[in-house]
This record gives sequence, structure tokens and C-alpha cells, in this order.
Amino acid sequence: MEKVSLMIVADDCTGCHACEVACKQEHGIGVGPRLIRVIENSPVYIPVYCHHCAKPPCGDACPVEAITRNGQGIVLINEELCIGCRACVDACPFGAMQYDEDRDLAVKCGLCIDRLQAGEEPACKKACPSHCILVGDMKGFSEEIDRRLARR
Amino acid sequence: MSELKKIRTICRSCHGGCGVIAHVKDGRVVKVEGDPESPISRGTLCSKGLAITQLAYHPDRIIHPMKKVGDKLSGNWERITWDEALDTICNRFKELIQDHGPESIVVGQGTGRDYESHLYRFANLLGTPNVLTAGHMCYVSRVGATLVTCGNLPVCDYEADPRCIVMWGCNPQWTNPDEYKGEVFWRAYKRGATLIVIDPRRGFLADKADHWLQVRPGTDAALAMGFHHVIIEEELYDREFVQNYIHGWDAFVERVKGYHLDRVEEITWVDREQIREAARAYASTRPACINWGVPTEQTLNCTDCTRLLTGLMAVTGNLDVPGGNVFYVPPPTRTVTEFARHRDLSPEQRSKRLGGDQYKMASRVALITPKVAWDAILTGTPYPLKAGLLCGTNPVTTRANAREAYEALSKIDFLAVMDFFLTPTAELADIFLPAGTWLEQNHVADNWKRHGYALARQKVVEIGEAWQDHKIFLELGKRMGQEWWDTVEDALDYLLEPSGLTWDEFRAKGFLRGQMTYRKYLDKGFSTPTGKVELLSTTLEKWGRDPLPAYTEPPESPISRPDFLEHYPYILNAGLRTPTFFHSANRMIPWLREIRPDPIVEIHPDTAKKHGIREGQWVWIESPRGKVRQRARLNHGIDARVIVAEHGWWFPENKDPGHGWDTANINILTDNSHESMDPVMGSTNLRVLLCAVSPCKDHEEGM
Repeated sequence: MEKVSLMIVADDCTGCHACEVACKQEHGIGVGPRLIRVIENSPVYIPVYCHHCAKPPCGDACPVEAITRNGQGIVLINEELCIGCRACVDACPFGAMQYDEDRDLAVKCGLCIDRLQAGEEPACKKACPSHCILVGDMKGFSEEIDRRLARR
Repeated sequence: MSELKKIRTICRSCHGGCGVIAHVKDGRVVKVEGDPESPISRGTLCSKGLAITQLAYHPDRIIHPMKKVGDKLSGNWERITWDEALDTICNRFKELIQDHGPESIVVGQGTGRDYESHLYRFANLLGTPNVLTAGHMCYVSRVGATLVTCGNLPVCDYEADPRCIVMWGCNPQWTNPDEYKGEVFWRAYKRGATLIVIDPRRGFLADKADHWLQVRPGTDAALAMGFHHVIIEEELYDREFVQNYIHGWDAFVERVKGYHLDRVEEITWVDREQIREAARAYASTRPACINWGVPTEQTLNCTDCTRLLTGLMAVTGNLDVPGGNVFYVPPPTRTVTEFARHRDLSPEQRSKRLGGDQYKMASRVALITPKVAWDAILTGTPYPLKAGLLCGTNPVTTRANAREAYEALSKIDFLAVMDFFLTPTAELADIFLPAGTWLEQNHVADNWKRHGYALARQKVVEIGEAWQDHKIFLELGKRMGQEWWDTVEDALDYLLEPSGLTWDEFRAKGFLRGQMTYRKYLDKGFSTPTGKVELLSTTLEKWGRDPLPAYTEPPESPISRPDFLEHYPYILNAGLRTPTFFHSANRMIPWLREIRPDPIVEIHPDTAKKHGIREGQWVWIESPRGKVRQRARLNHGIDARVIVAEHGWWFPENKDPGHGWDTANINILTDNSHESMDPVMGSTNLRVLLCAVSPCKDHEEGM
């Protein structure tokens, strides 16, 4: 099965934060966890997001195997298994793993799996005004990034 | 449970235009997303639009009419019916008209919720010439200056692939672009257009630019003179266009000669060779367009800077050509002017417009500058303003010299406001009318803009007793005995009549676009008195003004006030826009406030070091008129002599009726004296003044 992941062409990120609000709206998340986030250091903007790693350190760190990678390559958390130990939050090299203080659970980007299954783009990608969010397989990414940065 | 309905509509969380699909379940909007079929936004949507459900259903939103109980500043309100609210306003207005004339009533709006046509119709039929809008320093000021120069507002034609784009004091990917959105610009940039950025701050686009000119704030008109100087000296202008379509070329050339690049470099701080290279790139790349932003308008150089930039478009042959700056053809609807019945305001009433004799350009575009309204309220000169109807505007945070605005609105005899929340301005009112958000509007959206589209914004839900602004004007107008329609939709049928569509047919269609043609001047000339682009303005000449554009030094700068430098050594570049907020709006929206919790002042690290200011520390910013606190962000991308501060801040979470309106509000520092304003437009200087910065002591931190 073809694997999918998410990548942001940071060079084209304008720091508008549309992705953050689109994500929160899609998943009904209030103030607190930020499954996708852009850190501002004008003129550079640094998107922080789940890379859906092939060998996810969050999953390795989880003592109860609540985090798994599905056949499509999407790294998902089973909230019913999560014990709120935050080992995954510490283990994520990207700072993408989040913690929901209200529910005492780790939360993460599931690549809008429901939308993907319905043939729609993830909410963040759909909103992005500079089209810097890519979803697809890793091989496709490098070609796409070259094309985007070429300006022609 | 009812099934999910998807309704197509148009956003208005900024100046609007983006297409939205609203998801509705059980009579409630549960989600909004971009409409891929929108010709403006093509499926994308920004943080403000995406957060609309948190605004529309906010627990603090007022969704029924209210009246003030007790003292004006008490913050005590009582719920009333629409009948009582409208009758109270109507009776008060009728009394005032009888005793003091309709000119004693000021009708005002901020950037608006797309109701200019209705607001002006109400004001004109009321008979008041005193309409107070943001237009004195935002967009309408640009429209006014371009009307007298070339007959219309030239807009970037991004779709026709400009090969060079000049982003002049504008960041359309972050904030409030007027005609086109950042999305269309970005596509044009990505197709390889040369990018020239004029910005005192190294932002995202400055970083991407082929030429970034880090201009001293407020000196854009001098920089534009520098561009003209290079273009004339190197004969880069379009000879044929200049010969046939410019009025006053020789006189203009003489004027430009006075701005040699040494002088321009001294004024603007931009290296003369950089100016030369950028001017060459602009003038020698066809087609090229200039996308201008409000910093070019919010100084006393407003009119002349607009005229100079229009002049650049003209002399390089980029006016009304594909990919240049064009005059879009509007779709066949009634114009805002016709709907608003501007011609029904009698010459006698028109002659009473406050400041009309002095600010003739403002008068021509039917508005007043706030200073003359505050003066009339506070001093009764030339006659007293007794009452106000303010719609979607928060002048105590967004207008120059905020303390004077606050004092005036505290003292006006009677004030009614239309808004979503009890803002610091709304708290000063006697009557509060709950307005509908864009989810609650039926309207032919964007009809006032000059991008050639009319867009169907259709009502998705009704919330509480809130009414869309248009309905409020219509019902109030009818009570005043004015000629209106039975319903909002009947009025839209009238607006759409020339298109042959009814409102119901139009909303099913989604949008209309005018049939574009280019180089219309070949047949018709330009809509100016001479039929040409007037670099020498016959209109300004008639008004007894210098007919040629010039650069004027800001009234408070290191050059004009060296005596201030000991106490106020830095140039304050006020009014930095951010993507999540729209002027003073949205501070109560959890998703957006999480992203930007505090007001930010940007300081160069060297400057910060000098004053012992750390990253993230609260800082006092002080001008001769007052001081406020914002949180420091150190930024290498600004000049060490410049401080950059955000605008529009108040604190809805502060439940005092003032809501902290004067603690971080940068307009506590700005000036609105007549000398500080554009002499014909009355544009206030919201951008450039002198300031000092110092770290807050520990007990002064926070809000």
C-alpha cells in the first residue's frame, strides 16, 4: 500500500497560522494542544508538525503501545489505551506530540484520516493560502518541492 | 438529528471576498471551509475566517438590543426590544433634526461589514453630510487621489501574469488585502515575477524579494520621487504614452529634478544604487504592477504619495494593460453611489460637511476626518455634533489621538452603536444594536470594490435577535420616513436589477464578473478634466493647492523635530498588522488569541541592549502624548533607529467597562492635529512619530 505523510515547505510558509485554526476546527480542539503550529521568528517561520515517521519515536517510547503506524503510514494514537505518561511528548524529535491537560491524554495529528478516506485533503492543507503543505508519499515530495521552489 | 447542510457564502472577517462553504447542523454552523470554486480565494481561507464560529457563538456576544442604565461610563446595560431600541434612536434623531438640523448627527463606520451602500443611503436620506469612516486614511483616500489623477483606482492584474510586482508597504498574505487576496499574488510570484518590496521591516516578502528597499517610515513619497528621477534620467518611460496621455509632463519633470538620488537617499535611508536598480527593474520589465498598502496613506503625504505611485504606473505604460495596474470593469449591478442616493444630499447640506472647506478631497468622497467630529463634539465648533450612530467601529483604539476620541465619545449627548460585542467604544453608547456576522447576512458582497466581481453572501443562520446591519439601516430608515424596501432581499433585487437577475437567481449563481477590456483610454481617454493622467492636477489647482506632487517631511521626525530627540530618540512605526486580528477585532476569540496572546513591540537587538530590554519583557513605549505597554520581540530585520508596534489592542477579558482600552493602545501615542494630517484628505498620521522605550519594572508587567 502506498504510504502517505505530510510535509511543509518551510521556505514558503508565511506564518499566517491558517493551518492551526483549520486543524483545531476540524478536530474540535480548544486552547492548549496544537497538532500543527508555526513558530514565528520573522522573517522565518518554522512549522512544527507530525512527520508520521517510518519508525516513530513516540510509538517506541509508549509503554502501553497506544501509538501505532497503520498500513498507510499514518501514525495514530489510541486514546483508550493512553495512560497520560507523556513519554511520547518527550520522545518526539519535532516537538509535534501534544498533551491535552483537560483529558490527561497525549494527542497527535492523525493526518485527518477521515477526510483522506472520504477523498478530501487534510484540513490544514486545504486552508493554506501559500500552498506550502504537501500530503503524499515521500518520493513524490522531492519532485514537488523542486517544482514549488523553482518559480516558473 | 437533522442532516448536515452545506451552504456556499462569502467571508467578511476582513475586507472579505473569500469563498466559504458553511456546514450547518441543527440550525448551527459547525464548521466553515474554503470554497474551491471561489475566484478570489480558490479554496483557501485564513485564520480569521476559519475562526468565525468562535466569534458567532461567543458567550460574550450580545445578541439582543440593550439600553444603558445609569451613568454613561457605568457599564450597566438592560435588555430591550428592537421596537424600543429603534424608537428611542428615531425619536432622538427627529428631535435633533428639528432643533439643530440633520448635520448634528454623525453616522460612522469602521472598515465595515459591507454595508457602505446602506449606511450612506441612511445618512443621505437623513440629510447629514457628516459620515465618519476609516476612509480618510484607508483605501477611500487612495480612491480619491486616483480619481483626480487618472479617473479610477488602478488594481494589480495578477491573473494576467505581471512579470514584475512592487509590493509597496503591503503584506497581502497576512492582512486585509482590498481587491485581490494574497493567494493570487503568490501564484503570480511563483510564476517567476521579479519582486520589489518596499518595507521598513524585513518580513517574509522582503526576505523573498529581488529588491528590498528598507525605507525610513513615512518617506514613501520621496522614494517614489527617486523612482521617477531614475526613470526620467535614464529615459525608461513609455514615450508614446507620456506624449499622448500625460497632462503636465514638463512641469512634472522639473519637479522631479529637485529629487536627485543623493537627496532621496538622505531622506529615505535607502542606498541610491538600490533605488536605481529597483526603479530600472520596475520600469524595464513589462508588464509590471504596484500593490500598495495603507502605510502610503496614513501620513500627511497620503494624496501626493498616491499620485506619485499612480504616476509610476502611468509613465511606465503599465496602466490598464494586461498584467499591469488595471481598471476592472464592474459587473452590471447598481453602483453603491446610486443605491446610496448621494445625489439626494442637497448642496446646502453638503456645504455643512465638517472640515469640508479644508479637506476638499475628503469632501469629494463624502466623508469627514475624525478630528473635525471630535472638535465639533468637544468645542461646538463650527456647530455641535449632538448624536452618533456608529457601526462596527472602535475609534477609541483605532483612530489617532485615542484619548481625544474617547473623551469626545464619552461626551456626545446620544450615541447608538451596532456591533457584536461590548467593545470599549460600544460601552460609551446609550443604545446597543446587535449586528449579525457575515454568516447572518444576505448581501451582494464586494459590490463597492474595484476588482470586477459581485459575490453572493447568503445567510447561513440567524443567531439570537441579531440583525444584519442592512436590515437595521432599512428598519431605522423606514421609521425615519425614508424610502426603503419591505425586506433586505427586496433591496438586493433592486441592486441587481441591471444584471437581469433577482437575489434568488444571483445567490444560486454565486458571483458575477464584469466583462474585462483593457486600454479603455484608447477610446475614452481617462476620466479626468483633461482626459489624461494628470501628473499636474487641475483639480488640486482649482482647490488652490500645489498641482504637482511633493514630499513633505512628517511633522514629528528626527529631521522636523530634532529638539524631541533627547527624550524621544526613536521613530515609532505604529500599526503593525498581524494575520489573526483585524484592526481591533478578534481579541476574544480563543483560537486566535492563543496564537497571539499579547501586544508586540519589535525592537532591534542593539536598541534593546542599550535599554536593558530582554526578549519577551514588557516595555513602556512613550510619545509626547502618552505611554503604553507592549511585550518586546527582538528583531534584527528592522533599523535600530525604528521601533515597530502593533495596533488595535484592548482586552475583552478585562471586565471593567474600559476593557483596558488605554493600556496597550498605540493610538494613545499618535497625533491628530491638523498640521499632522494630509492637507486635502485629512488622512491622520497613524504610522510615524517619535518615541522612547524603556523596560517595565517587575510590578508593571502584564495587563
